[in-house]
Amino acid sequence: MSQNHLTPHVHRFGFSAMGCPCELQLEVIDPELARIAAAAAQAEVERLDRKYSHYRDDSLVARIDASADAGTTIEVDDETADLLDFSTTLHAQSGGRFDITAGALTKLWDLQSARVPGEAEIASALARCGWHHVLWRRPYLKLDVPGMRLDLGGVVKEFAADRAAQCCRDAGIAHGVVDLGGDLAVIGAHADATPWLAGIKAPRDMSHTFAKIELHSGGLATSGDYERAVIVDGRRYSHIIDPLSGHPVESFASVSVLAESCLVAGAASTLGMLLGLGAGYVWLQGLGLPFLCIDADGEASGTLAQH
Amino acid sequence: MAPRHTLSPSLAALMSAAAVLAPDAHAHAQAVSGESDSRVSYRYNEYGEDAFAGAAIGSPDRYRVYSQQFQLDTHIGGRGALDVTATHEVMSGSSPWYVLPGADNRPIQVLSGATIREHRNEVRAAYTLDPGTSASTTFNASYSQERDYHATALGVEHSFPLNSALTLGVGGSFSHDLIAPTDAVLYDRVRHEEKDTVSAFGSLAWVIDKSSVVQTGVQFNVENGYLSDPYKLVSVGDAILADARPGSRTEAAWLLRYRRAFTSADAALHLDYRYAQDSWGVAANTLDVGWYQSLPGGWQLIPAARYYSQRQARFYAPFFVDSSAQRFFSSDYRLGTFGAFSASMNLRKRIAHWELSAGIERYHAATDYALDGADSAVPGVLSYTRAFVGLDYLFE
Amino acid sequence: MRNRVSVYAIGSLLLGVLLLNGCATTPVQPWERGRLARWDMRWDSDPLQAAMDSHTHFSKEGSDGHIGAAGGGCGCN
Repeated sequence: MSQNHLTPHVHRFGFSAMGCPCELQLEVIDPELARIAAAAAQAEVERLDRKYSHYRDDSLVARIDASADAGTTIEVDDETADLLDFSTTLHAQSGGRFDITAGALTKLWDLQSARVPGEAEIASALARCGWHHVLWRRPYLKLDVPGMRLDLGGVVKEFAADRAAQCCRDAGIAHGVVDLGGDLAVIGAHADATPWLAGIKAPRDMSHTFAKIELHSGGLATSGDYERAVIVDGRRYSHIIDPLSGHPVESFASVSVLAESCLVAGAASTLGMLLGLGAGYVWLQGLGLPFLCIDADGEASGTLAQH
Repeated sequence: MAPRHTLSPSLAALMSAAAVLAPDAHAHAQAVSGESDSRVSYRYNEYGEDAFAGAAIGSPDRYRVYSQQFQLDTHIGGRGALDVTATHEVMSGSSPWYVLPGADNRPIQVLSGATIREHRNEVRAAYTLDPGTSASTTFNASYSQERDYHATALGVEHSFPLNSALTLGVGGSFSHDLIAPTDAVLYDRVRHEEKDTVSAFGSLAWVIDKSSVVQTGVQFNVENGYLSDPYKLVSVGDAILADARPGSRTEAAWLLRYRRAFTSADAALHLDYRYAQDSWGVAANTLDVGWYQSLPGGWQLIPAARYYSQRQARFYAPFFVDSSAQRFFSSDYRLGTFGAFSASMNLRKRIAHWELSAGIERYHAATDYALDGADSAVPGVLSYTRAFVGLDYLFE
Repeated sequence: MRNRVSVYAIGSLLLGVLLLNGCATTPVQPWERGRLARWDMRWDSDPLQAAMDSHTHFSKEGSDGHIGAAGGGCGCN
């Protein structure tokens, strides 16, 4: 017992935010310090969830959506402006496939339980999508078409993981890891300097681990469509929608990327998914970050795959 | 993490874009939304004063004013907004001229003969940079022209955020007025006079919570030049003299405004209070209360009430018995002690791109309504009724 | 003098309320300001009518009515 008071101990805190299970693992001697840090980190994640959720009608995103309908310009705060600037870069890097204004399309496909949307519905949603309809002159944002919907889901969770890790560091935690539904941000390696171990599980067989990844610092993010894909008449439709065509992309079941921050890792994995089987793999190879792709048949590839 | 020797261009782009979002690089700033509609507005206003009821000499039919306002409010470039307003007024009727002592020194108001129709034209332009934000700058200029009065004014206002909840506003304006009374020779009036006004003001607005804001402000006005009314006379002893006021006047005012939204009632409360005091001894309290009620179908109903009270200037009296006591004299009722109540009801209705509006106000002033008891009678105090109809068009 | 005393009383009372509120509330975030940005919460909800009100009161009362850039005067009686 006395040893517990002298050596750091991993304190685990679970909560639910951004529609997924979250966990903080904080390695520290003082349990009170761990509780304080965990509370700060959880509050930060919940703040970002409230601010950027497209399911809440009191979020900033809801206000931006309302401004699109009203045809008005909105002034956004610095944090949002930075996220919009970052999204602009992703849009350029993905040849227009990463688009935070594709909300109308993703909603259309999400809403279908077991039905493929008609071409007319897709065309109508497509008309309300597209970064080219956005007037973005920091800090002023105007969505030029009524009915446009913003979806920052592709970047906010990863950003929140980095922010939560920073909250823990600010509170005095040096060793730990933040896990927001599979997106990880490392606060710092274990107290004995050994890395945290993250296992990437098979999308459709959670007992099988594809890769064990050592995390010293930075972030690991995974994009996948295993939770939300729909199967209609035996055909699988992923929830990764190409905003240029309005149709789902034939892509991997999941893509994981390791980077210096969870935000960059998340951007890379999302872009890899959006670019699809061939182009995505080539792009990830060229990017130079450690990555792992798992296709619909459960085949793993990429620099992190264990052969 | 696997070792890397060089960054791919894509990764370099991602990392540099992500750098600003680095978790420790953040300060959360505030933001306020602005609306970017363009709007064209027209208003027709009628103003009519009650006929003079007390002891009077001359036509008891007082002023009537018919005004038309045209406004264009539009966005220019990415950050600017231009607001141009033109006003045309037609005025006619008689106005208080001077007061004679009657039996037992009861005042008898002498009214000027009914004027022919007078016109006033005014153009005002305001250019605002970053409108609707907490860091906006407005430049404005106006010109008002009558047969006997020309006023040119320039002003600038700037606001900047102190933190996420507080916004500081500062501004100043300058006005140069030219006065050239009609029939100057016939009535021995001044011929050409000038007046300059300099104003400086500051305000602090505070977002209290999600549904209420408060603003407090101070303003200083300094007027120099011909501040008398060239058309008004004063009964001093046995003589009838020209209205004579000091050549300068300094006014300080304090303002407090409160706005509170009632979300469940879909309404907003407006409370405005203003206190002003000037170097002539005039002190005024004003309280405005308004209720902005939104109703289904695009209707808005706005009942409002106002109370105003002022204490007289040191040199005001309805008439003067002895001229030796002072240099300045005025019998202008606007410098006397009085109070006024007014009530108004406005209605607005939005139909697609159009907005219809109409309103009516009843204003009633009396010496007895003043907070301070009156030292002397103010026979000229007035009551009026005002109404308007308006039509606005909102562009996408 | 009576009104001046009452003015200071109102002023200090409001200041007291502000200070109390200032300690008790958390900052209002940008995305919580939707209601405040509405038309009916502006300082001057109808600028044209505010201009006409100001002009009328300036013409008929002894104290110039508002805070902000003053227009020129007029020869109104």
